[in-house]
Amino acid sequence: MEMKLKDNLSRLPDNTAMKQQQLPACHFHFSATRILTAFFAIGALCLVMGIILILSSKSAKTIEINYTKICANCAKLQENAFNFDKECTCSIPFYLPEKMQGNVYMYYKLYGFYQNLHRYIRSRSDSQLLGIDIKNVEDCAPFEKSHNGTPIVPCGAIANSMFNDTIILSYNLNSAIHIKVPMLRSEITWWTDKYVKFQNPSSRNLSNAFAGSTKPLYWSKPAYELDEEDPGNNGFINDDFIVWMRTAAFPTFKKFYRRLNRIQHFTEGLPAGNYSFNITYITSFQGEKAVVLSTLTWDGGSGLFLGFAYTVTGAMTWLVLFSMIAAHLMLKKRKTFFLQQ
Amino acid sequence: MTEPLQWARHHWQRLIYGANGDDDERPYNYSSLLPCGGKSSQTSKLAGKHRVVVPHLQPFKDEYEKFSGTYVNNRIRTTKYTLLNFVPRNLFEQFHRAANLYFLFLVVLNWVPLVEAFQKEITMLPLVVVLAIIAIKDGLEDYRKYKIDKLINNLITKVYSRKERKYMDRCWKDVTVGDFIRLSCNEVIPADMVLLFSTDPDGICHIETSGLDGESNLKQRQVVRGYAEQDSEVDPEKFSSRIECESPNNDLNRFRGFLEHSDKERVGLSKENLLLRGCTIRNTEAVVGIVVYAGHETKAMLNNSGPRYKRSKLERRANTDVLWCVLLLIVMCFTGALGHGIWLSRYENILFFNIPETDGHVISPVLAGFYMFWTMIILLQVLIPISLYVSIEIVKLGQIYFIQSDVDFYNERTDSTVQCRTLNITEDLGQIQHLFSDKTGTLTENKMVFRRCSVAGFDYCHEENAKRLETYQDAVSEDEDFTDTPSGSLNNMAKLRVHSCRTVHNGPLGSKPSNHLAGSCLAVGSGEGTSEVPHSRQAAFSSPIETDVVPDTRLLDKFSQITPQLFTPSDDEMAQDPLLETLYIIDFFIALAICNTVVVSAPNQPRQKLRLSSLSGMPIKSLEEIKNIFQRLSVRRSSSPSLASGKESPSGVPSAFVSRLSLFSRMKLASPVEEEVSQINESPEGSNDSTCHKEIEKELSDRGLTNGKVESLHGQPLASNLCYEAESPDEAALVYAARAYQCTLRSRTPEQIVVDFAALGPLTFQLLHILPFDSVRKRMSVVVRHPLSNQVVVYTKGADSVIMELLSVASPDGASVEKQQMIIREKTQRHLDDYAKRGLRTLCIAKKVMSDIEYAEWLKNHFLAETSIDNREELLLESAMRLENKLSLLGATGIEDRLQEGVPESIEALQKAGIKIWMLTGDKQETAINIAYACKLLEPDDKLFILNTQSKDGCEMLMSTILQELQKKNHQESSEQASLNEDLCQLPTSQDSGMRAGLIITGGTLEFALQESLQRQFLELTAWCQAVVCCRATPLQKSEVVKLVRNHLRVMTLAIGDGANDVSMIQVADIGIGISGQEGMQAVMASDFAISQFKHLSKLLLVHGHWCYTRLSNMILYFFYKNVAYVNLLFWYQFFCGFAGTSMTDYWVLIFFNLLFTSAPPVIYGVLEKDVSAETLMLLPELYKSGQKSEAYLPLTFWITLLDAFYQSLVCFFVPYYTYQGSDIDIFTFGNPLNTAALFIILLHLVIESKSLTWIHMLVIVGSILSYFLFALTFGAVCVTCNPPSNPYWIMQEHMLDPVFYLVCVLTTCVALLPRFVYRALQGSLFPSPVLRAKHLDRLTPKERTEVLKQWREVGKMDQVTSKYADHSAAKLGRRPMSGHSNVFVMMSATSCAAEQGNISVCETDLDSDMPKTSGMAGSTKD
Repeated sequence: MEMKLKDNLSRLPDNTAMKQQQLPACHFHFSATRILTAFFAIGALCLVMGIILILSSKSAKTIEINYTKICANCAKLQENAFNFDKECTCSIPFYLPEKMQGNVYMYYKLYGFYQNLHRYIRSRSDSQLLGIDIKNVEDCAPFEKSHNGTPIVPCGAIANSMFNDTIILSYNLNSAIHIKVPMLRSEITWWTDKYVKFQNPSSRNLSNAFAGSTKPLYWSKPAYELDEEDPGNNGFINDDFIVWMRTAAFPTFKKFYRRLNRIQHFTEGLPAGNYSFNITYITSFQGEKAVVLSTLTWDGGSGLFLGFAYTVTGAMTWLVLFSMIAAHLMLKKRKTFFLQQ
Repeated sequence: MTEPLQWARHHWQRLIYGANGDDDERPYNYSSLLPCGGKSSQTSKLAGKHRVVVPHLQPFKDEYEKFSGTYVNNRIRTTKYTLLNFVPRNLFEQFHRAANLYFLFLVVLNWVPLVEAFQKEITMLPLVVVLAIIAIKDGLEDYRKYKIDKLINNLITKVYSRKERKYMDRCWKDVTVGDFIRLSCNEVIPADMVLLFSTDPDGICHIETSGLDGESNLKQRQVVRGYAEQDSEVDPEKFSSRIECESPNNDLNRFRGFLEHSDKERVGLSKENLLLRGCTIRNTEAVVGIVVYAGHETKAMLNNSGPRYKRSKLERRANTDVLWCVLLLIVMCFTGALGHGIWLSRYENILFFNIPETDGHVISPVLAGFYMFWTMIILLQVLIPISLYVSIEIVKLGQIYFIQSDVDFYNERTDSTVQCRTLNITEDLGQIQHLFSDKTGTLTENKMVFRRCSVAGFDYCHEENAKRLETYQDAVSEDEDFTDTPSGSLNNMAKLRVHSCRTVHNGPLGSKPSNHLAGSCLAVGSGEGTSEVPHSRQAAFSSPIETDVVPDTRLLDKFSQITPQLFTPSDDEMAQDPLLETLYIIDFFIALAICNTVVVSAPNQPRQKLRLSSLSGMPIKSLEEIKNIFQRLSVRRSSSPSLASGKESPSGVPSAFVSRLSLFSRMKLASPVEEEVSQINESPEGSNDSTCHKEIEKELSDRGLTNGKVESLHGQPLASNLCYEAESPDEAALVYAARAYQCTLRSRTPEQIVVDFAALGPLTFQLLHILPFDSVRKRMSVVVRHPLSNQVVVYTKGADSVIMELLSVASPDGASVEKQQMIIREKTQRHLDDYAKRGLRTLCIAKKVMSDIEYAEWLKNHFLAETSIDNREELLLESAMRLENKLSLLGATGIEDRLQEGVPESIEALQKAGIKIWMLTGDKQETAINIAYACKLLEPDDKLFILNTQSKDGCEMLMSTILQELQKKNHQESSEQASLNEDLCQLPTSQDSGMRAGLIITGGTLEFALQESLQRQFLELTAWCQAVVCCRATPLQKSEVVKLVRNHLRVMTLAIGDGANDVSMIQVADIGIGISGQEGMQAVMASDFAISQFKHLSKLLLVHGHWCYTRLSNMILYFFYKNVAYVNLLFWYQFFCGFAGTSMTDYWVLIFFNLLFTSAPPVIYGVLEKDVSAETLMLLPELYKSGQKSEAYLPLTFWITLLDAFYQSLVCFFVPYYTYQGSDIDIFTFGNPLNTAALFIILLHLVIESKSLTWIHMLVIVGSILSYFLFALTFGAVCVTCNPPSNPYWIMQEHMLDPVFYLVCVLTTCVALLPRFVYRALQGSLFPSPVLRAKHLDRLTPKERTEVLKQWREVGKMDQVTSKYADHSAAKLGRRPMSGHSNVFVMMSATSCAAEQGNISVCETDLDSDMPKTSGMAGSTKD
């Protein structure tokens, strides 16, 4: 009580640095030397980084072949409703002037395909894809069930619109010998996708597990028959399927399709020479399709932009730096008292 | 300490407000009662709404149940919520806010399937969080109130219990209407009760209402008539009457009702019989009362209003910008809708990705566009910063916390610091342009110090006293710490509430049994030390500086001539000069001592103890005997001629008047008029009786004196023990002055006044009548029967102008006495003028001797006036006029009201800060001008214009003349000056032209100037002037002036004052500041901020105002920036997803980004940012101007901020876009670097904007970044399928291993921030603002700093000088006197001169010639 009394007697606020707002503070002081040093350092770093990036992206080799027009006939064929299911193959020859060293990746590239529409990306069932409950199709509207009411597996708009052209690259040693370039369809997805996010329903036989379900509307084969060569690559854990399900950010995008199996002729990559793509054309849309062959660099093949951007930024910084030096020198003559440091 | 009070008050207001609603469970609806309180009092109206109170005792149980059963008990619940209704009620309140409704609308919108942008539940999150934060805040507030309530409810008081047949301890909460309560001295009254018994023989009880209105002087309350005469304590058992009174209302000054005895006899009750909850019993040993209102129905509770909510200028500005944001949002959404429509018309048939509705058909583009509009609104909602309002509130709380904990605002003497009563206008403090200040008590100390007097035409200048005052400054500061109790301390109520009992452990009080009650005795201040000083309980207006007056030696000499022989029967023939002068002196000091309403009390003792103690000196023969004596006294009292008391005042009498009357007289309720008249008629004859009684009294006091160690001649151990409690400080000062001359006011009862006069011994004046002071008459009078001459004497004290007119007009052939009067009058007038010029407050003292017959005659008329129902006031005024005429002047007094410490410095600083200061005072012109000079409001070489006319035309002419003069001057000085005919808002300020002018305007003229037709001209005129002094201004005028300036010039105004007369002004101004001084708490109660001294204002404005303003405006701008920058990322993305309303960011991240990752740093920034240190801000008041011009937050600044936000968002989006363009990146992986870069940009932007970074900033920023990564990593690791479609699984982890991610983030951050960084860097070195330059000062050593400051000043001065020089070269050189003398332009147009009564114009010219002298005195040495 006595203590309390004493406390109450005074309303004197605590005289602490915190309460009196006297905390030691680091003032940002824009003194000339500091600023100039900072600008110089930033500029230098950017320039160096830019040059490195440009150099490295130059080292990457990419070839892109748009097959929309070449395969236009197939597309036309498909427009006719009667030929909906008919396979149509077109072949695109091309010449590789330089060999592509190292790992070569094959992509398909779509122009003007909006995989990022709000309702499109929502139309999937993650719990189905996890293999927990393949009948869980509630989020998949409007591709949840077929006309007779059986659930679609895999359901949803994304799965339904899966890219299903087949692209085969063959190496034409000469006009007679066409070697099919060995391609791997594994390891083109994120590890976590393949092993965590996508799981087949636990059943010895996939087709049994998928029993009582329908294949998606636009699919020609059910999910458990996607890869005839590798039975482990079927169902939800099919690599192509997983790649497709990771919806692209922009309407123009490329997606992993295959990677070079470096055996036989191709241990060092793709040698220069004549090649051709044999494409089994399935579906068309308003945009364009292309196939891309590319090597990867450490920066993930990000292209030239980043390098240029760094270079330009560095240059700009130095420009500002020089103009500031000039201004500072002028100021010094003026002898304004506060700019002495 | 201040907080509980605020909480409680705040709540009360809400409570009352809430009661207007329907959901209150309490049985009474106050709103229906309030009009009743406001209505003019008409007894007939009362009948319908009244309550009956019967004792809450067994015999009346049935009756009690019938009448009082439903009345609330004394338990108070100031909390708004209970555990049960907290959630619904709080939600209900919160949805009163427009912003919350908007977000609720968004949430609802998101539930519409076609429009849905996010998962339904997710949009609710921000709203829920915001609501929860506010709810938690409200809940905590409420909990604190609950605890305080509990404390108060559990205070102990003594309630009569029938079972025990005595008063038992009971909690406050258990007190019910009809309970009898017995309170001892210094206890707090638990409920409103009617006073039935007081130990005081006169049936009086004193209460201190400081808990209620802060006034520390004592108020008298009186026992209900009929009970006062009882000798013994009221016996609750025998109390069989019932009380009928009006229903609870909030009018503190009214209480009406009656007490009906069992024999149907009715006794009227008035507010004089009511003890109010929260007040403290003083000077009365014990009282008993019956509770009539309890708990929430007490007047104190009904009167409480919580802190006010004002909207600050900055917030208004921010609100318009929020509207701009809304517009921007609509534009963006419209763009989205349009884009989607167009896109859809191109891709309508692609069922691959443009998925149709479930029923297979595709929505038409137009409809889809319409839906998309709403989707976009949901998606981009963050553009309207939901967290802005919450953050602003939190920031303001933080700012207030820091303001309140500033040590510099602490005043040791009153143990008080600054109080922020309005919580949300801190930033307005930084934008004040006009300051309106009261003078008395605000600029001055309101410690009235007796300085000089003039008696019978001789001036006694009291030089020793002056010297004492000079040396006082230092000595007193330490001294007062001990002697001064916090009589004016702010929060007695609050102290009580938190149960801080300040019981005194020493002295008689501590040992008193009555003192046991914890939490009741607050004002007993002798707790410090062991009573070194006799003043252990300090009354108001009694610091040593006021009480110790050193007598003038010359006057003392004259005093020594006084002997009792002067009054030997032959004294009537005395006509010789020296003796006559001596008589004047005697009368003068007697008048000083008795012509007032001062209550005398001995410290620590109830008032009547004074008399009892003298009794106890003599051997007590028997108790009976003493009782007899007192009974005789009370017999006398019943036939007392003190008519002022009058009847139960009929409705027409203003309550103020009644209250004044009632202070020293008691109400004789409904007593038959005739009876009293007859008694009065008898009274002259009955003088035998009175003399007899007087003798007894004299004997008693003589004995007491001898017993009490006879008063010595010079030191007065006994006299100094007396405490005077005066209504106004002037009165106290005069009484103390009289005491210094051994003319000590010993006691005062409604019948008699005892004065110890050195040589004459104790004199007992029979008090016949008091005509109290009122502002119309400007004087007061007492009518007494002089004990020596046995004549009826009228002593009048009043303003000199009034008294001078009432003096008896000497006929030219009059007697020598009359001639002498003339001389005295002239001399005194000269002295008065002299006093006024020295800034002293003057009063004239006069007297008049009446014959008994004359008096009886007057009394009869006066009585008629008092009892009349129509025109009562006028009749009373007339009656007073009849009494107060033909006075003979005794002398005059000069009282100094000293400037408060640090006032001139503060005013100088504030003026330098570009604040225009107006002084509004009720004082006379000369006093006001002199104070203005003394406090540096006016500089010696200012031009002075005096507006003092008696007609509107004159005023107009005068103003236009002055304006022309000014204009001419100005045109000479700068021909390019904007013409005056421009809009008022762009009036040229005189600062620009380097000329300073001051305007003095008197109340009468102000009346004209405030009229519609002259307003504009008046404002134009004042715009030229640095300082404006309005003297003789009424409270209403004060508020009108503030209103005029505020509304017409559209400037930020601040009003500061300390008294009740400043309340209206304080309420009108943008910011009202109350000074918790000696004049009570009304000003503080009405104010937004309360400080204890004027000098604190400069730091409050210059430092805290500046900080609060810059902090908050920067924070608000930053909030806009932050939201726009972040939301635009989403917007840009729409261009690449067909305007489909897709978000590339996970929703949780999106929401947490605003709520968690970037919310704390701006708040910290808003609370702790310090652009310039406090010292520099104080040193350079000029820096304040940036706030006045709203430099930190101009419309342009807002748009530049938005532009920067747009730029940054563009960079932040397109750098990653181009990097990842055409790659296989998926939506949410693309969003990740965007978010990360945005986080860095937004936080580093803050770092660039911050002028100072403390470890707290660092901690919060680093914490924000860490929390972001932690969240992203955890979310990415845990969330496999949750939250479709974003699937953040492993994205962050993947990116953390990808060098491109880092490259992108670094580049984006650099490019986005580069322009702002360059701008800030250039600003810092190329064109620094004054604030930035001042910031530079902070880093220098003190020595360097003074050096630089000097340089700075010189540069500033040089600029001024050059401009002045130019002015001068243009104008006639040398016309301006350089000698430092002021040139006073007294402009009197012919008409106004004609209208003037000669007197005043003489005064003006007088002033003119004298001004250099006085200004020289006040002038600074400027070098």
